[in-house]
Amino acid sequence: MAGIMFQDITTLLLDPQAFKDTVDMFVERYKDKNISVVAGIEARGFIFGPPIALATGAKFVPLRKPKKLPGEVISEEYILEYGRDCLQMHVGAVKAGERALVVDDLIATGGTLCAAMNLLERVGAHVVECACVIELPDLKGRERLNGKPLYVLVESH
Amino acid sequence: MSSLQQLAKFRAPSQLRMGGQLGRCPSCSFSPPGAVRASDLGRSTTEKAISPKLTCSAAAEKSGSFAFTRVVDTEGAARGPGTGPVRAQQMATGDASDPRIAGIAKSIRVIPDFPKPGILFQDITTLLLHTKAFRDTIDLFVERYQGKGISVVAGVEARGFIFGPPIALAIGAKFVPMRKPNKLPGPVIAEEYSLEYGTDKMEMHEGAVEAGEKVLVIDDLIATGGTLGAAIRLLGRVGAHVVECACVIELPELKGRDRLGDTPLFVLVSSA
Repeated sequence: MAGIMFQDITTLLLDPQAFKDTVDMFVERYKDKNISVVAGIEARGFIFGPPIALATGAKFVPLRKPKKLPGEVISEEYILEYGRDCLQMHVGAVKAGERALVVDDLIATGGTLCAAMNLLERVGAHVVECACVIELPDLKGRERLNGKPLYVLVESH
Repeated sequence: MSSLQQLAKFRAPSQLRMGGQLGRCPSCSFSPPGAVRASDLGRSTTEKAISPKLTCSAAAEKSGSFAFTRVVDTEGAARGPGTGPVRAQQMATGDASDPRIAGIAKSIRVIPDFPKPGILFQDITTLLLHTKAFRDTIDLFVERYQGKGISVVAGVEARGFIFGPPIALAIGAKFVPMRKPNKLPGPVIAEEYSLEYGTDKMEMHEGAVEAGEKVLVIDDLIATGGTLGAAIRLLGRVGAHVVECACVIELPELKGRDRLGDTPLFVLVSSA
C-alpha cells in the first residue's frame, strides 16, 4: 500500500509535514556543497527543485520538453522504450564550472536524468549528484548515470 | 522498518530556510543586449522618458518610482525590432513602494515573437536565475497569504509548479497540481476551457481538496484568464473556496481579470 502511494508523489504533497520533511532532507544534504544550480526536470522536478534551490541559495534551471523554453536553447535527445524524446535547457543559464544538482521526483530507467546530466556537462558544469524522491531499482536507472552519484529517499519495488 | 516508514517518522529542523545570496544582474551575461525599439512596445500614459544611455538597472534606480522602467539599448535599436530578447519593461502594481518589486520586474526577460509572431513572451526563467529576485517573489506572496487559514495552494502546470510549492511549504498548506489531461494517475475531475482556437482540459485529483477548504491558485502569468478560470471552476465543483488567484505577471490588456468571476487577483508585475 505504502509503495503504491509513494509512486504517486502527489499524495506526499497533500501532507504538508511530509513534503517539508522531504525538502528538508535534500537541503540538509546539499546546503554545504557549494551548489550554484538546481536543475529540475519538467514537470514534477519543478515541484521539488525550487524549494531546494531557494533554501540552498542556488539558482533554479528548468529542463523542459521541446518548444516550451523561449529563446535560445540546447537540446539533448534520449531513447525511450519506443522512440525518442528530447530535453532542452536555456543557453546561458548555466556557466562552465558551476556545481549542479539534478532533481526529479522519480528515477525509473534513468533516460531523462542521463539527458539532463548531459545537457549540464555540455556547458561545462559539474553535476555533483542526481536527487530523486523515489527510485524504482528494478529498472536499473542508476546504471545509466555513468557513475554519477544518485541519492534517493525511497525505493519502490 | 521500511524506508517509507522511516520517511514518515523523520522530523527535520523546524524552519525551512530561505537563504541565498544576491544574484548578478542578468543583463551582462544571460541575454545578448539586442533590444526592440521602445516605440514598438507600446506606451503607457504614465511612461517616463528615459535617457538612451541608461542600462536596465540604472534606469530602475533613476526613475524614482517604480512606475515604469523602459530600456533602450542604442546598439539594439539600430538593428530594429524583433532582433532579440529585450530587458523587461514593467509597471509595478500592488505595493509600488516595496523595493523588491523593481528587482523582480527587471529580472523578467521579454522574448518577442514567441511562441508566435507578434507575441511578447514574458519569460520568468531569468527571474529563477536571480536568487534574490526569486526569494523576494516567494516572500511577497508568503507575506500576503500566511496566517489566513489557506490550506491548499493549487498550482497550474507547469510554471505554477515552480512558484506554488515554496509558498505552500512556507504557509503550511498542501500543494495540489492542476494538470493537462492524462498526466495525473488515478481518478480525476476535469474542466474544459477555451483557447483561441479550440479547447483544452485541466485535471485535478479527486479527493485532493475537500469541501470548505480555502485555496490559493498560483500561476506564473495571467493572460486571457482561461486557465485560471478553469482552475477556479474545478475547485468550486468540489466545494472549496478560492480566496485569491496569484500570479507574478499580468497582461492587463487581455482582461484576464474579468474571467475570474468574483475571485480576486493579485499580481506583482503588470506588463502593458
